[in-house]
Amino acid sequence: MSARQRTFARFLVLLAGGLIFASVFAYAVLSAVKPPDEILGTKLWPSEWRWSNFTLPFKTAPFARYYLNSVVVGVSVTLLNVITCTLAGYSFAKFDYRGRNVLFFLVLATLMIPLEVIYVPLYALVFKLGWVNSFAGLIIPSGTSAFGIFLMRQSMESVPDELIDAARIDGAGELRILRSVVAPMMVSPMAALALFIFMANWDSHLWPLLVASDDAHRTLPVGLAAMQANNLGSSGIPTMMAAAILALLPTLVLFLVLQRKFVEGVTMTAGIK
Amino acid sequence: MLRVFYLSLFDYDLTSPPKYVGLANFKFLLHDDRFHQSFGASIFFLLAAYVPAVLLALLIALGLNTRMRGSGLVRLLYFAPVATSWVAVSVIWRLVLHPNGALNESLGLHVNWLTSTSSAKWGVALTAIWKEVGFFVIIFLAGLQNVPRELYEAASLDGAGAFSRFRYITLPLIKPISAVVAVMAVIRGFQAFSAQVVLTDGSFNTEVVNLFIYKTAFASARMGRASAVAVLMFLLLAVVSLAQLRVLRRSDR
Repeated sequence: MSARQRTFARFLVLLAGGLIFASVFAYAVLSAVKPPDEILGTKLWPSEWRWSNFTLPFKTAPFARYYLNSVVVGVSVTLLNVITCTLAGYSFAKFDYRGRNVLFFLVLATLMIPLEVIYVPLYALVFKLGWVNSFAGLIIPSGTSAFGIFLMRQSMESVPDELIDAARIDGAGELRILRSVVAPMMVSPMAALALFIFMANWDSHLWPLLVASDDAHRTLPVGLAAMQANNLGSSGIPTMMAAAILALLPTLVLFLVLQRKFVEGVTMTAGIK
Repeated sequence: MLRVFYLSLFDYDLTSPPKYVGLANFKFLLHDDRFHQSFGASIFFLLAAYVPAVLLALLIALGLNTRMRGSGLVRLLYFAPVATSWVAVSVIWRLVLHPNGALNESLGLHVNWLTSTSSAKWGVALTAIWKEVGFFVIIFLAGLQNVPRELYEAASLDGAGAFSRFRYITLPLIKPISAVVAVMAVIRGFQAFSAQVVLTDGSFNTEVVNLFIYKTAFASARMGRASAVAVLMFLLLAVVSLAQLRVLRRSDR
């Protein structure tokens, strides 16, 4: 086999593997539109395409509400993170004050701690504040992230001090400098951070399950899991497939459109680059 | 964070004030079968899902690490599951793993993937492998980009075969990234929650530690005891991460 043929063979193997991976999505879509009696068994192709099945989740559960909650919480958490991490990153990168390094070390230390370890006392705190079953309870505790602060600080180190000093001499205030001088240079890391936070939040299940158990505040993962528990029989399969596909669509589309940023975000979590 | 250590020494149910109980929570866990089982379930999940996922990811990343036409498209197929949410994925996999679902029908099997003690843990692991491979492919690919292509060409000229090129060039150069991957795999493995909730709700030996904490803290309102589990979890993760980094650093020299 020539080198070229070998590359082609390898490509075919990888393609086949990839198609097996992606076939799960195709299977989910096909199952969502099939008539109920064709879902289980060997019949792959639907005899009739019932696209109207995609309205089922909205009819049998407050699915629209869950969806809206996820969007509201996701967008708020993302915006808050971009703002707080940019501010903190700017402070850590460009200001000299007592205790700065100690503070930054503390932030880095929390990077190592998974949410699972702190959520019991965090819940007790949110409970005391009366934020259980409220958007505040869903949004505020996720409003900043050690990872984001770290990322923004690293990126801001590259902004030349002279540029900031020049703006100061021109009489610009610190927030003004951040907004008009530094932020425009930080669009790329901010976008990667925003994408990363939004996707992580869309996937977030455990915390919303704790603080928002009523229908008015449930986000998609919590709502979807509750719907699944109510739809254990095979008659509920079209509803659940439609709901799952609709639930994963936004992040999947974001990924397809912003592949490069997405890969960048994942790579950053590993601390390479 | 410190509060979790503090709370772990109390009996606390949110509504009445915490009562100091010393190490009783830890003593209880030491003898609690359910806790031991959940710990075992987590370890099993970690090994059964993340070891294959990481190895598969390394293979795929090595394959994708060349310039070929269409490789961008192939990457998309592997990366897509990473961009989905665990709960939605688990809902879909309930059907894939159904006794008459896609997996059994396409392979001609008759396995009760999610409703038997012998296979439920494998069903959950399969779901996780599908979901997580892409994540590690992305990280391995980023690591492989740092391996200079000229090294391979030089080695080929010297008559090195594909295996010895992997053994003597790729493997040593991706060691640092492998350390990162190993630590991330352990942490992600212990964070498992959604798949177990949706697929089995923790029955058939799939109640992982996180699910145990959740049920202890919130279904039986024992915040102190749940904090004690969280403390143990944290210590374990910290030790594992440090040990892994140490071992890999030592073999680096």
